[in-house]
Amino acid sequence: MANYYNIDDILAEEEFVPVVFHKAANGVVIDPSSETNSVEQGAKVELPLWLAQELYLRQAISISVPACFSQRTRLEIQADAACVDLKSRSPYFYEFGCKIAPLVGDKTIEILLLSAFKIRYKEILTKAYTAVFTTTSKFLTLLTKEETNLYEAAQASMAAFKKWRMGGPRLQRASVLGRKRKPLD
Amino acid sequence: MAGQSDPHISLFSAEEVEFMAEDELIEIVPNLRMDPLNFICGDFGPFLPQIATQVPFWLAVALKKRGKCAIRPPQWMSVGESPSSSPFFDMVLERERESQGAFQVLPFHYVEISRLLFDHARDDIPDMYMVRSLIEDIRDVRIHKVETSLEKFSGTSAVKIPNLSAMEVNIIRPFVGRALQAFYKHDNPEKIPDVDRPSSAQTRVANNEPRVCSSATEEITNHFQPAYDEGTSVLLETLFGESYLVPFSL
Repeated sequence: MANYYNIDDILAEEEFVPVVFHKAANGVVIDPSSETNSVEQGAKVELPLWLAQELYLRQAISISVPACFSQRTRLEIQADAACVDLKSRSPYFYEFGCKIAPLVGDKTIEILLLSAFKIRYKEILTKAYTAVFTTTSKFLTLLTKEETNLYEAAQASMAAFKKWRMGGPRLQRASVLGRKRKPLD
Repeated sequence: MAGQSDPHISLFSAEEVEFMAEDELIEIVPNLRMDPLNFICGDFGPFLPQIATQVPFWLAVALKKRGKCAIRPPQWMSVGESPSSSPFFDMVLERERESQGAFQVLPFHYVEISRLLFDHARDDIPDMYMVRSLIEDIRDVRIHKVETSLEKFSGTSAVKIPNLSAMEVNIIRPFVGRALQAFYKHDNPEKIPDVDRPSSAQTRVANNEPRVCSSATEEITNHFQPAYDEGTSVLLETLFGESYLVPFSL
């Protein structure tokens, strides 16, 4: 829990991870379709990360690598990271990856994230500063939340500069000035 | 820093950068007689007709609007046959195009100053259209160059791009800040706090990181704009002639 008040951080912890229960748990409704209010030992369920993390610390479960870091995704990222639709895999791909890596003890996730980001960063850079909006709208759907923020930051600052360069009225009338004063009763 | 209009998008808006540029000194030739003016930023004047004097840009613009002075365009703006200034302004564009990596030395606020001059003192600039198109070209070439130089870095913790101007830094600041933060995060997996004891790991990392900015530089320059994002972040320091983008601590 890096930042308690950060909405992105909270949402990143909502991502589901596949876990295996080592202990049976009674009185919990984790799987809504099950008939009893309990989870058996050895049951495979998907839990949100925030819950899995706590249970993992109590050694009640073991966590396996989530689907968005599967071998298939890795191969796709190795082939051409810029074209992979990471948003559909997880909108918080990077944050989620950083959080899950120590839990599953997989060092390669970090390397995967870095190499993916390096390539995608260049793509965002060129798209953000040069291309017009209509051509990039398709590209935008592939980006994760973090990358979208990056793209929008670049776009906004460039747009602000262009607006300033074009000029316009230097002095703006305050909104309160033009109004008529209300008659006093 | 006080006065940021929107701290989330960009540290300063273009208008705010322009406002800061108005503190630069410029030479004017007044046509009125006036006693010296005493301001917090210094004393200017006395103003005597046809005697050139140095004043801040905002004062020059105010006097110009009232028709009380003529603004002398700065040396670096002179084109072609001017008597002084070693690299003529039209040469800068060529050199800028030739050298792929490096940026030519231009005043820190050249974008803003040129726009202010074009807005308020059109009649004082010789070869107005030439200078204007040159500035536009130089700016476009430079911005393109900034982008190509940004493409180069991958996973570095500090970037040094000498001779960037205030407006150019301001344009790329939000993007570079975030990008460096992300690079830093993914580049140092061991710095990610351990799940078992997140608080202790965090403080340890924060204390070990060297703060790159020196307090001495903070004091000597007006152009210093540190961006502290509550501990977790990126420092982006701009000095005349040199810009450092340094992330520190997670």
